[in-house]
Amino acid sequence: MNCLINLKINGESYQLNVKPNLLLLDLLRYDIGLTGTKRGCDTGECGACTVLLEGRPINSCLMLAVEANEKNILTIEGMAKDGKLHPLQEAFIEKGAVQCGFCTPGMLLSAKALLDANSNPQEEEIKKAIAGNLCRCTGYTKIIKAIISAAEKIKRREQC
Amino acid sequence: MLNYFVVGKPIPRVDAIEKVTGKAIYIDDLMFPNLLYGKVLRSKFAHAKILHLDTSKAEKFPGVKAVVTGKEFATNFDNPLVGSPLADQPFLAVEKVRYIGEPIAVVAAINQEIAEDALDLIRVEYEQLPAVLNVEDALKNDRPLVHESFNNFRCSPGFKPVENSNICCYIEITNGNIEQGFREADFIFEDIFTTHSTQHVPMECHVAIAQFNPDDSITIWAPDQSPYGGQNLISAALKIPESRVRIITPPYIGGGFGGKLNLSGLMPIVAIAWKTNYRPVKIVLTREEEFVSTTIRHSSIIKLKSGVKKDGTIISRYAKLMFDTGAYADIGPIVLGKAATGSLGPYKIPHIKVEGYCVYTNKAIAGAYRGFGIPQVCWAYESQMDIIADKLGINSIDIRLKNIVEEGYITPTEKQEAHAVGLGKCLIKVRENMSQKGEGKIIENRKRGKGVACGYKTAKTPSGANAFVKLNSDAGADIFVSSVEMGQGVNTIFAQIVAEELSIPFNNIRVLPADTNITPFFPASNASRVTFYLGNAVKKAAQDIKEQLFKIAKDILQADKEDLALEQGLFFVKKEPKRKVKIMEIMKKTYPGGISILGRGTYYQYKLGSFPSHVKVEIPTTEVWMYASQGVEVEVDTETGRVKILKVVAVHDVGKAINPITCEGQIEGGVLMALSNAMFEELLFNEKGKILNSSLLDYKIPSALDMPEIKAILVEEAHREGPYGAKGLGEMVAVPTAPAIANAICDAVGIRIKDLPITPDKLLRALKNKCGDCGV
Repeated sequence: MNCLINLKINGESYQLNVKPNLLLLDLLRYDIGLTGTKRGCDTGECGACTVLLEGRPINSCLMLAVEANEKNILTIEGMAKDGKLHPLQEAFIEKGAVQCGFCTPGMLLSAKALLDANSNPQEEEIKKAIAGNLCRCTGYTKIIKAIISAAEKIKRREQC
Repeated sequence: MLNYFVVGKPIPRVDAIEKVTGKAIYIDDLMFPNLLYGKVLRSKFAHAKILHLDTSKAEKFPGVKAVVTGKEFATNFDNPLVGSPLADQPFLAVEKVRYIGEPIAVVAAINQEIAEDALDLIRVEYEQLPAVLNVEDALKNDRPLVHESFNNFRCSPGFKPVENSNICCYIEITNGNIEQGFREADFIFEDIFTTHSTQHVPMECHVAIAQFNPDDSITIWAPDQSPYGGQNLISAALKIPESRVRIITPPYIGGGFGGKLNLSGLMPIVAIAWKTNYRPVKIVLTREEEFVSTTIRHSSIIKLKSGVKKDGTIISRYAKLMFDTGAYADIGPIVLGKAATGSLGPYKIPHIKVEGYCVYTNKAIAGAYRGFGIPQVCWAYESQMDIIADKLGINSIDIRLKNIVEEGYITPTEKQEAHAVGLGKCLIKVRENMSQKGEGKIIENRKRGKGVACGYKTAKTPSGANAFVKLNSDAGADIFVSSVEMGQGVNTIFAQIVAEELSIPFNNIRVLPADTNITPFFPASNASRVTFYLGNAVKKAAQDIKEQLFKIAKDILQADKEDLALEQGLFFVKKEPKRKVKIMEIMKKTYPGGISILGRGTYYQYKLGSFPSHVKVEIPTTEVWMYASQGVEVEVDTETGRVKILKVVAVHDVGKAINPITCEGQIEGGVLMALSNAMFEELLFNEKGKILNSSLLDYKIPSALDMPEIKAILVEEAHREGPYGAKGLGEMVAVPTAPAIANAICDAVGIRIKDLPITPDKLLRALKNKCGDCGV
């Protein structure tokens, strides 16, 4: 028995008929074709599948699609607005925070949730905010630098 | 110092934009019409005979399109075995299973759920056999044999296993006179060190798509570090021409670290693709399968005996290495060879004897892992170096400076002249950048200490490397190479090299994904060899284009070639800079109908004549060494045994940093990986050979909360053959970290840990025993 659900993904409305056991991750990747959200473990341990649900980071491999009914979802594909990169995306590029890139979408979304709630995070707060997003390449050093730099960018832009 | 226009600049990565926007494509993002999904049935026993295998129920399950067993595939292809230098591994187990997790059968179905459900319907009857689960047992006389016979193995010259034993490979290297070396020593140091098994844990699990074609060729899409290596293995095993095996890599790979080499862990896909009636089939390993069925790092036992003069000069060393290679050889014999040649460390030791054993056990297969055998031996020789320094009362940096290899020194293991040795500079920079003693707040029960270690590693020789570069009419360029972008930044530095040589904008240059039907030969993106070997080929291909452009430009500008210069995309007459023409104009004027200008580059290093004749196994020598030294500062809590890493100073001699920001990134990431390997990670096997911690919950890799301050410093001791002087880096970053940590702990609390990993319980036990000894 399928279920009819309504979702808003990256600002666009979708009405979908889904199996009750369909994971939100699979809905995003296979039903909608948003493959920027990655599968790394299927058990909520690596954070590669992180998306924002009503602005909060969640592991989309641990959520059923039906649980996201009537919710707003932001994936990595929706982070740039009107062709303009989010300051976090710019900072990740500038600071060399990207290597293999597999953790990058989830990492950026966790960082966005942090900066949306706390525009001036301390280094320890950043580390806690991204502790659920594992990265095997970078050693996190440049990721943290990039998040600090993005916070400063956002502040500067708001002052203008 | 030459002034470069793009080389040496910290330019943002060429692939970053796709990766931050979610547009970067990895294999699992590829969708195919008519795609089937494969699931692999795996052995539950470490060592057992397969008595009976019944797949009939699975075959009838609705949605299942094909099932393949080892026996069926082996019968059709005349018992194919995969591997190099030793082909010993079936695509699927045939008569016997040799480790828990070994593939036995594969199901292909219209979706993953059906494939998984159908696996439960396959019945396997086993007869359990005694298993051998560690190297020491495996070398005993009455041990069970993992392989009863080696008769049908295909072996490269010198790589025959020892009959009627579990010895997959034995290596012996000697130089000087070891007995004399020990007689002349003032002190003899004998220690045993051990290292443990770890997993690579790339964030992207192993995945592949495969399709047999009606012309009997096979195409495999896989995130593989060595597309040509995989092609060669399948071709040799199935006895089909290499040109009928096409390996296509995706634009991006989600981390490799040696684990995604030669399609290791993915061979079952070949067997099922053969049964799907030309439909493509995809296999994505789960994280659990990733832990149990892809290659791991060799655990090892290393016995070191070193003879030392009173002044700290090391004059003799005997090393016995025992590496656990698991159930199949994979690349284990080569790893052992690298460890054996590297077991002296970057030190001048005249009298040596090295004996290396690569040993079969009924455990997960060990293969290439960042550092390729060198982290194991470095753990031993750099720990012992501090034991020696301590006994002789010599400063730990001074004793290293006294013994290190210098320019022109002939290394006794490779019989090669050392060149571009920046190690002394690395050690001095470590000294300069470590905190002074007494810095920071001292709390009772928390003892601070500092430790240093250094290391070296060769980048593999021989390495053939080909590159094509295509200059387009808009003065953009495409680079055709068979390296893969797995995070290390190779696409960026190749774009920098072509931009530098042709003085065209960096942003208009792209590197194409490797495809054995399109991109030319390169053995593998491993061994830290891509920049040195393939970088040279890319540079030559760009120079080939430049030569062609100069010929056209001299006609257009009516000047001699010698009088022309090329800068910022512009040819001009040196003495009359106003006589100039842009590259784009040259192309348009000369070829108004449109054209690409093609450049070819080949770089090949193979010094057959310099093979060390005293080495019983043929170990290719090297052209390039990488050097590094790392310093670590720790705080040990003597009540809990917990170690906090306060700071790591990692100084690496890269020859020339083509992109300093990607070099720094590799160092920071590699140091954290090595630190984690040394302190958090360990694959735990139970008494039946089962891996107990096959999830990221039970096998911890570090999060952002675990990172210390890492100071990455680059030394540039240019190599005469390297592109712009560049050497390699990626593996070296993971080499000296573990012994530097152990040396720092010993400095803090006087406890010498000789067995990795360094866990709080191990340290606490040692602290308690020490207090017991001294009666505190």
